[in-house]
Amino acid sequence: MALLSDDIVQNVKEMLADMPREGTLTVFTDDQDCEYCEQILQLVDEVAATTDRVRVEKFEIHKNADEAAAMNISRAPAIAITGEEDYGLRFYGIPSGYEFSTLLHGIHAASQGTSDLDGQVKDFLDGLSKPVDFKVFVTPTCPYCPRAAVLAMEMAIESKLVHANVIESAEFPELASQYNVMGVPLSVINDTERVEGAAPPQMIVDAVRKAIAT
Amino acid sequence: MFDFKLTPETPKKEHKSDLYDVIIIGGGPAGLTTAISTARDGMETLVLDRESTGGLAATTDIIENYPGFPEGINGMDLMDRFRRQAERFGTEITEFEEVSEVRPIKEGLIEVETDTEQVYRGKTVVIATGSRPKKLNIPGEDEYYGKGVSYCATCDGPLFRGKDVIIIGAGNSGLQEGLPVLDYANKVTFLEFLPSSRAEQILQDRVKAHAKSTLLFNQRVVEIEGEQTVTGVVSIDRETGERQVFPADGVFIYVGYSPYTAFVKDLVDLNQWDYIKTDQHMRTKIPGLYAIGDVRADNPAQMTVSVGDGTKAALDIREFIQEL
Repeated sequence: MALLSDDIVQNVKEMLADMPREGTLTVFTDDQDCEYCEQILQLVDEVAATTDRVRVEKFEIHKNADEAAAMNISRAPAIAITGEEDYGLRFYGIPSGYEFSTLLHGIHAASQGTSDLDGQVKDFLDGLSKPVDFKVFVTPTCPYCPRAAVLAMEMAIESKLVHANVIESAEFPELASQYNVMGVPLSVINDTERVEGAAPPQMIVDAVRKAIAT
Repeated sequence: MFDFKLTPETPKKEHKSDLYDVIIIGGGPAGLTTAISTARDGMETLVLDRESTGGLAATTDIIENYPGFPEGINGMDLMDRFRRQAERFGTEITEFEEVSEVRPIKEGLIEVETDTEQVYRGKTVVIATGSRPKKLNIPGEDEYYGKGVSYCATCDGPLFRGKDVIIIGAGNSGLQEGLPVLDYANKVTFLEFLPSSRAEQILQDRVKAHAKSTLLFNQRVVEIEGEQTVTGVVSIDRETGERQVFPADGVFIYVGYSPYTAFVKDLVDLNQWDYIKTDQHMRTKIPGLYAIGDVRADNPAQMTVSVGDGTKAALDIREFIQEL
């Protein structure tokens, strides 16, 4: 049985119709311990079937440890969203509920290689000299979460030094616990700065400034 | 088991009109209902929302008293349907823009300015901004917000799998939103200020029937305790005066709502609780400016009533614009 309804498939077709370049979803699953890996594989196939611009690659994280390491992926299930280049967009868990939008935005943005961020934010990102690692914790039922996730992804598109990891908190309880996630969205920058809620770009820029100053 | 949502975190639309027939501030049930009617009527319709569309209804786990869905429907699903219906007829929707000012210029022209300094111009404007959860204003509430204190059980409930949770407030919202938390949590204790719950009986019965739930009444919660994160809630029994600490990892607060009307408080008439007064056609005292849904005085905060408000406003807007 299909995961995506006919209505959603139609909408996805329209959204991905103007992708300027090909995008790739590289999925890492885990044969040993993975509740939703089967569904993730099905989901990416259903998304790829809506357009000829999205390719899918599938790897098992243990059997394909080299590929996982090359993409800096250490846990599964994970989806690396890439365009002509790897902008560092990663989604951990199944992008269901509101997070489906985050996945689609990631695909579209990676294909474009540009973002809708305003000039000031882009200028700041152009001037970065240190790596910036985003961990954006989300849940599928959180309507505010895609905003935080998409913002991190757009920043990653604009700077090679920025990596955006979106993490479905309920699927990775050990990570949620390690980072003390008790409300979503939560953006953790370089493991030091924390921004709760769907914050505007300038607030995230300020947090990035602090994170790289330490 | 899974559902998949589309939200505007997909490519953005360009604004297409210099002068909309209708600008609706707030994309909850009331606002989107007006949009469905006005857009279907051929009017250029813009919906502005400070967050994602759907309003509080979208954060409701299951809505069971909205006609047409005999098995009930997830709030996010229902609001997604409202939105798609509005968009089908050409409604333009802009999210994450908060309106900071409404300026009536002359009859048939009202300007709406947002926090991003965008100015939209409409022949009519509909205020459908709804309400937000009230705070308790007790020690620890702000300090532990995001560290165990939350106002959105739908969003944050999944984070408390196997944990102990307190829900403050056992009215309709507290019980309705607490029910799904019972599926995740180890134990859920509901603390209600009143001597009994005013929630619908069906909700009370479900909560009481759940093995993990405890309902306590006459509880005046005075403090949320924590270290790095929430560790418990301090409550005083209003009958006995006994002070008790309820250990908890998470606290969800559902003690009522207050309307989003600060941005128009000098423009329209408000009642003593800051809800907007209208006539039976949803008109405020400013011609072409309407108020509908939870933000309107005398609306009982029921979705079906908000939908009715939305329809009434749309009907009046049609006449108003024809007469311009």
